[in-house]
Amino acid sequence: MNFRKYLFILIPYSWLVALFLVPFIIVVKMSLSDGVMAIPPYTPYLTLTEGWAGITNFFTNLDFENFIFLTEDNLYWIAYLSSLKIAAISTVITLLVGYPIAYGMANASNEWRPTLIMLVILPFWTSFLIRIYSWMGILSQEGFLNQFLLWLGIIDQPLTLLNTNIAVYIGIVYTYLPFMILPIYASLEKLDLSLLEAAKDLGCNRTQSFWLVTVPLSKAGIIAGCFLVFIPVIGEFVIPSLLGGADTLMIGTILWQEFFANRDWPVASAVAVILLLILMVPIILFQRSEQKQREAE
Amino acid sequence: MFMTIFEPWNETNSKPFIEFRGVSKRFGALTAIDNVSFSIYEREFFALLGPSGCGKTTLMRMLGGLEKPSKGQIFIDGQDINTIPANKRSVNMMFQSYALFPHLTVADNIAFGLKRSDMPKSEIPDRVNEMLKLVQLDNLDARKPHQISGGQRQRVALARSLAKAPKLLLLDEPLGALDKKLRQETQFELVDIQEKLGTTFVIVTHDQEEAMTVASRIAIMDQGKLIQIDTPDLIYEAPSSVRVADFIGDVNLIEGNAQKMANGKMQIEWAESQPALIADSSAQIPNDGKITFAIRPEKIAMTKHKPDDADNAVEGHIQDIAYLGNVSIFKVRLTSGQLMNAQASNTRRLSRRNFTWEDKVWLSWTETAGIVLTK
Amino acid sequence: MNKIIVSLIATLMVSTSVAQAGEVRVYNWSDYIDESLIKKFEQETGDKLIYDVFDTNELLETKLLAGGSGYDVVVPSASFLQRQINIGVFQKLDYAKLSNASNLWSIIKDHTNKYDPDNAYSINYMWGTTGIGINVDKVKEVLGDDAPVNSLALIFDPKNMKKLAACGVHLLDAPAEMIPAALKYIGEDPDSKDLEVIAKVEPIFAAIRPYVTKFHSSEYVNALANGDICVAFGYSGDILQSRDRAAEADNGVKVTYNIASEGAVMWFDQMAIPADAPNPEGAHKFLNFMLDANNMATASNYVYYANGNLASQKLLEKEVLEDEGIYPTDATLNNLFTTTAYGSKVQRKVTRMWTKIKSGT
Repeated sequence: MNFRKYLFILIPYSWLVALFLVPFIIVVKMSLSDGVMAIPPYTPYLTLTEGWAGITNFFTNLDFENFIFLTEDNLYWIAYLSSLKIAAISTVITLLVGYPIAYGMANASNEWRPTLIMLVILPFWTSFLIRIYSWMGILSQEGFLNQFLLWLGIIDQPLTLLNTNIAVYIGIVYTYLPFMILPIYASLEKLDLSLLEAAKDLGCNRTQSFWLVTVPLSKAGIIAGCFLVFIPVIGEFVIPSLLGGADTLMIGTILWQEFFANRDWPVASAVAVILLLILMVPIILFQRSEQKQREAE
Repeated sequence: MFMTIFEPWNETNSKPFIEFRGVSKRFGALTAIDNVSFSIYEREFFALLGPSGCGKTTLMRMLGGLEKPSKGQIFIDGQDINTIPANKRSVNMMFQSYALFPHLTVADNIAFGLKRSDMPKSEIPDRVNEMLKLVQLDNLDARKPHQISGGQRQRVALARSLAKAPKLLLLDEPLGALDKKLRQETQFELVDIQEKLGTTFVIVTHDQEEAMTVASRIAIMDQGKLIQIDTPDLIYEAPSSVRVADFIGDVNLIEGNAQKMANGKMQIEWAESQPALIADSSAQIPNDGKITFAIRPEKIAMTKHKPDDADNAVEGHIQDIAYLGNVSIFKVRLTSGQLMNAQASNTRRLSRRNFTWEDKVWLSWTETAGIVLTK
Repeated sequence: MNKIIVSLIATLMVSTSVAQAGEVRVYNWSDYIDESLIKKFEQETGDKLIYDVFDTNELLETKLLAGGSGYDVVVPSASFLQRQINIGVFQKLDYAKLSNASNLWSIIKDHTNKYDPDNAYSINYMWGTTGIGINVDKVKEVLGDDAPVNSLALIFDPKNMKKLAACGVHLLDAPAEMIPAALKYIGEDPDSKDLEVIAKVEPIFAAIRPYVTKFHSSEYVNALANGDICVAFGYSGDILQSRDRAAEADNGVKVTYNIASEGAVMWFDQMAIPADAPNPEGAHKFLNFMLDANNMATASNYVYYANGNLASQKLLEKEVLEDEGIYPTDATLNNLFTTTAYGSKVQRKVTRMWTKIKSGT
């Protein structure tokens, strides 16, 4: 009897269908509708009570108008590109900050490691919103950072940090740092120390063996960390709206605007569908690199 | 043609290539190396042998510059190695796990050290090919380490460590990961390569057979101390202590009281109502006369009846037989109660064997077959 | 926008629960009631009152348009209410059940008639104005003693804004509030739905944009009180709240609220009952409860907003009733104007223009 076997496969797949595929189909369907002032605020919607006529009527009224609309206003492209740019820059910064931390953790003594991992995970125990609010307190004109810098005498005028892209980068790097540190740490921790001794034995100094051995061998962790940061940051909405200024343009904010300010659910859905298609590229690349990694092991 | 025997350690005017002077190494409270002094000569294939944890690996890692001595000095070619940084010494190491770089191809692994040296870039590929030929891996240059077999990986590791033509090569359990047959083949190859290159090799191993096969001299280590340095035959035939005798090969140890006889030989009382054993030994008998008599199983003859002309003969019955193919080990319970191993070659087919379980037998050996150990 | 996220998460969590008999579910703006009234209602009626809050009209509207919100009473702003009535979001009120309706203030009733004729679907909860909050000392320090603190010129004249930029200016991130103010400043009809007229404000905002610290609809409450900014264009109640916070903190910051002499937007938050309310009976009970002069006075004394309940005025604290920022003088009151919501097409253009104003894209 293969029944049990099928059941085991069926359960996760039905979750996937229920939690991802069905909502996605609903969003795609909505993106092909037209906005109206009604309940619900779009048309057509499927009315099964009208039978076959209702179904054909439904399908003939769907169109790609909203997608065409998105191409007509360069706002959307600029917002998508700006999201990609912000995601790329923050990924690089997160990597530059996260790698040394992961490296330090991997080189710490065994008794310290659990504590250090704990410290990296600890912020997750506090609400994400509260942590971002704290940053507003830190970065504001009268905030801790400015007070501290003024006290040190490094600056004599408070810096404008909050409501700028700098604050957005700080918020993103802070929030996503654990997603960068943990995979890199995992790959560095696995690193065979005899490889570094071998490198030393073959004439490398510390810097050389770091770049020639440590970095290439933690590549899998670096790639995983970068994707884990890059992918969610593209669609980030909370951080730019709390820490960013009015000129911080991200697609998440545009989506909010379409949905709430314009009440245009269909256009909002079209924005979301395109966002998902854009995200597919790095996700597929990530999957590929993971697969390659598995094959190599 | 006159063959000179390679025995620089016996020549008074030869200069040691490596010299340990009173070297100690402590890790916290643990003393890994305890005041060790010895020399290794150029072109030697020197084995450090001992049970795990005896300090042999630490000793080698100090040579490779991966550890620093807590006390004492190590000289290579007359220079204190503490004054030369690790990456400037003409010493390379082959690691136990091979430590091949998994992200680099076989050729790039071999070229790794060369690229760090002052060798002109254009010469590197030739040198890599030369090394690949040396270890017979010509076709595998483009493979990654995980795409080749364990034996091939071992060869890559050897080629990589030899690529820079070091004056000294350190090998840390180089064959430990190979299966027995491959290990034996590779041992001979290793010796061939060492002789061909004339490089001084220092090998760390816990496998006494391996040490016996490859080494010109063996240093036996135990608990951070060197207990004997000698050629394989002397280590085997003339162990300096019970420890060495027990560690190398199979041995029967009989405790007894020794007395010098008029003819200079030794008479050993070892069990009540048993005739004393006679041994031809120059060992100094300690004051209390307590010694250990060691005899290898293969030096013992086994007969049904008491041999007439034997120097020593004891009686017992066969308690167990271990059939090893080429030889069999007979465990014989002596009438005095001791258990003694005797080895016999299986020159005949199994069914024609003379001895079987519970047979009464006599074990005999000559005066010179055993050794008297006082330590 | 920060509060939006909090309430987004909160509403997602509560909206799935199912209403039960004897429960009245009210969805009101955050910080908009004296919580003792909730207990009082429960004691008087024996019904359980479930009180949830939101932060933007957009959020409420999205829930109402999605249908099945599960609320019995909601409190949209009048301009939003108007179009929501048109698509049948609300049910007509049964005035037979609202014995306290006679307490309503006719002046406010007249104003809200524009959105909801005869108050058939809604009654006023609170109302207020949109005006200028200033840190008095800082503004005078920057612009001198004759600073136009009572004029829209303070924020729409680039000459003033250039100087104010140094101490910080927040504007509402709400085109429906900012555009009418700008239209008023240039002498156009603030309630204009003509895109050509609306487009005239774009250069006005473009000129002051470089000097605006942030467009945000709630942060100015704290920022003004802390002294982080010196000018905010915002809602009357918020700025008055900021004034009190600064006074409580005793940090040397003195905040005042001024209604612009050119005129200011007057807004109304209306209580209404969704068409699909599970407990319309209870909803009417709540409405009648809030129409009680005593209860409404308690609410206004707490939130510092004017209400549409004439009878409650004699029960108000003096500092509320006599504060011209809350209950403006008759002269100012006559100068106030109201706006109505944009249609879908105009709304899209307005949103787009607002994005361009804010981000330059």
